[in-house]
Amino acid sequence: MNEFIEQFLLEARELIEQATSDLLALEHQADDPEKIDGVFRAFHTLKGAAGIVDFEPMGRALHAVESILAGFRSRTNVISPTIINECLACLDQVTRWLDDMEASGEVPSGAGAAADAIVRRISGTAELDAPASPGRDWLARLRDQNPGQFSEARTALRYVPNPDAFFRSEDPLAMIEELPGLISIDLALSDPAQPFDTINPFTCAMEIFVLTNVDTETVIRIVGGASNQIELHALDTKPRADSATTLSSLGRSILEAQVLLLREPRQNGRAGRMAAAGSVSINVLRQAGLEAAAASVADALNDGNAISLIASIERALREKPGGVLSEIVDTSRPSSAAATRVLRVDTTRIDTLVNLTGELTVVKNALGHLATRAQAGLDAKGVAANLRDLQTQLDRLVGEVQRAVLRIRVLPMRQMFQRFPRPVREISASVGKLINFTVEGDDTEADKAIVESLFEPLLHVLRNAIDHGIEDAEERQATGKPSTATIVLRAFRQLDNVIVEIEDDGRGVDVARVREVAAARGLVAADTLARMTDAEIVDLIFVSGFSTAREVTDLSGRGVGMDAVRTVVERLGGRVSIDSRPNVGSVVRLTLPFTVMMTRLMTIESAGQVFGLPLDMVIETAIIPRDRIVSIGGAAAFAWRDKTVPLISLATSLGLGSRVSDAGQARVVITSAGGQLAAIEVERLGERMDVMLKPREGLLGGVKGVTGTTLLGDGRVLIVLDVQELFN
Amino acid sequence: MTVKLIDKNSIALAGTCPSEDAEELFQYLLENRLAVVDWSQCEQAHTAVIQVLLASGCELKGTPAGSFLHGHIEAALRRARGQIRPFAAGLEVRNSRSRQD
Repeated sequence: MNEFIEQFLLEARELIEQATSDLLALEHQADDPEKIDGVFRAFHTLKGAAGIVDFEPMGRALHAVESILAGFRSRTNVISPTIINECLACLDQVTRWLDDMEASGEVPSGAGAAADAIVRRISGTAELDAPASPGRDWLARLRDQNPGQFSEARTALRYVPNPDAFFRSEDPLAMIEELPGLISIDLALSDPAQPFDTINPFTCAMEIFVLTNVDTETVIRIVGGASNQIELHALDTKPRADSATTLSSLGRSILEAQVLLLREPRQNGRAGRMAAAGSVSINVLRQAGLEAAAASVADALNDGNAISLIASIERALREKPGGVLSEIVDTSRPSSAAATRVLRVDTTRIDTLVNLTGELTVVKNALGHLATRAQAGLDAKGVAANLRDLQTQLDRLVGEVQRAVLRIRVLPMRQMFQRFPRPVREISASVGKLINFTVEGDDTEADKAIVESLFEPLLHVLRNAIDHGIEDAEERQATGKPSTATIVLRAFRQLDNVIVEIEDDGRGVDVARVREVAAARGLVAADTLARMTDAEIVDLIFVSGFSTAREVTDLSGRGVGMDAVRTVVERLGGRVSIDSRPNVGSVVRLTLPFTVMMTRLMTIESAGQVFGLPLDMVIETAIIPRDRIVSIGGAAAFAWRDKTVPLISLATSLGLGSRVSDAGQARVVITSAGGQLAAIEVERLGERMDVMLKPREGLLGGVKGVTGTTLLGDGRVLIVLDVQELFN
Repeated sequence: MTVKLIDKNSIALAGTCPSEDAEELFQYLLENRLAVVDWSQCEQAHTAVIQVLLASGCELKGTPAGSFLHGHIEAALRRARGQIRPFAAGLEVRNSRSRQD
């Protein structure tokens, strides 16, 4: 890939992220000049970047948005939700282009039509604010003037003949007359303000706008000679077909006003406001030919539910019912894949590495010198002392290099967190719930692999929270909660772990219902189920194939969400838990290792073999008298601090033979597996060590109960056990 | 002649109006600002002529004989009249003043 394009992709994605977060902030505080400036700067820089790589359509699309934003910047007008949506849609398109470029390494060739669509939509939204002058936003005006005919048109044409056309005995309209498939012609004076008595009838000072149902190539063939005075736009017939039944910009702003009216927090007169806003919206939608949307607004109005009324109007405003979700998927998928390739690193971290390399070289040279001395057989004692000294230095340096390398892989959570506000906004809009989404601790750092792989699972959790956790506004009011729900996404460091929490103030997990479903699906045996505590029951939602949603929605409720969350988190060496309180809310907590590369292990020995156990799984090591171990069926357990802990023998469970130890005591390692205590009997407890764990692959790939491998100092391979799998 | 001043209230276009007619039509319309243009006999008109009709915002009488004029230009001029309000208003003011004189 061309170096320019590589740099362009990197910068453009950052700019898109910045613009998106500023746009979303503007939605809450529309008059924040700093955010408007931020969005404007981002679009402006993106446009400049598009110019550098010669990506004209992208420049054109961004220019259209930028000029609208410039208007808001200078006039301190309040930016409307429609404009924000259009800006976001434009960024989505740019993201798609970037993905194409990333795949092909070249500027996409067929981007013109998409760019035109953006320009058309953007100019459509700006029309109300912009002074009408010929030549500006002409396509949008043409569309509004010919609502019925625009749908059939395949080519739109703007013809500005040379002022001296009449002298050259040209007849522009006669040429237009030659065009096949004419649908409509519009005429405008170049300067409508010029008084009639001062015009020169020999100067051509008009513009001709034409819609035809033939393709651009045919038009070009006929108007060939005058093509430099003609602007042509191919109209995609498919989307045009809807646009006959889409909202005009006037209709949109009327609907937006109704939403604002309905969102007013005043209680008195609410019914009146609803009736008025509802009937206005229905009329606007009917007039635009959107009968289905009008009917759904009417239904919501009949139900007397303000939230669903708002939701139905907003759905109509979005034009494409159901299209929003697929967009979310579209925007989230490629960027996560793309982000893996490039890592931006603070230069001071690189400098640290350079310095360490220097120090390592010094040690290496000293080692060489020492080797020469040892070879000469001189002063064995002195050599040994020096060797010990160098080993200490090397130990320190290698430790520092390791830490420095890991620091390079550390990223702030912000990189992932800042991608959430947008999907949250869209999901909540699609289910018609009002949500205040806040992010805390986004400067918490974690390993790159963790930061990058958490987006999907967290999105699942957020979807679940919005879809199931948060009640409808009415239900919330009935229980005395504010109608706007709060969801907090937070991250913080706790010792060697990074904790990510999603907290909502919804209804909490319905324990009775989970019990019911678990029984119905036979996930857990009935008698076990009866003995399980509420917390254990709630934990069942992470079991594969579980879903309590009464109806499966597009968002969640297919029972794969929470299961998938646990899988991803555990693959990263983390744990997931849920803390739910009825009618107060729930907190989903992801406990993740700070780094996935370094693992702290303790070694244990069983049947003469050494194994590793991840130290964060180990709670305690203990020596238990054999008489306290009770057999329960084929298994064993013992009481430990007032809790019954199941016990397995490592040798037996790994099939290494079950030598019954004659000692009266058992050495056990008490671990926490999937939130439950479990003990492993071992023959000997070893040492602690920090290792770079290699994921299991090759022959070990299919072996159950193994997390990975590492090399011991003496060259032996240490197999690191997966405690959870051992107990399953 | 393809453009004719019938009286101070009406001007007629007929047959195929070449670009030269534009100047004549412009003069007639300047002198008779309330005149109605009858284009029912008009089969074709040069862009320059259409431009004068467009700029004057004059009232058009009848349906033009030519199919292109009838099918497209007539509607375009009508739509354009709605758009160039500032100019039309200016014309009215001048007209009323001239009547007062």
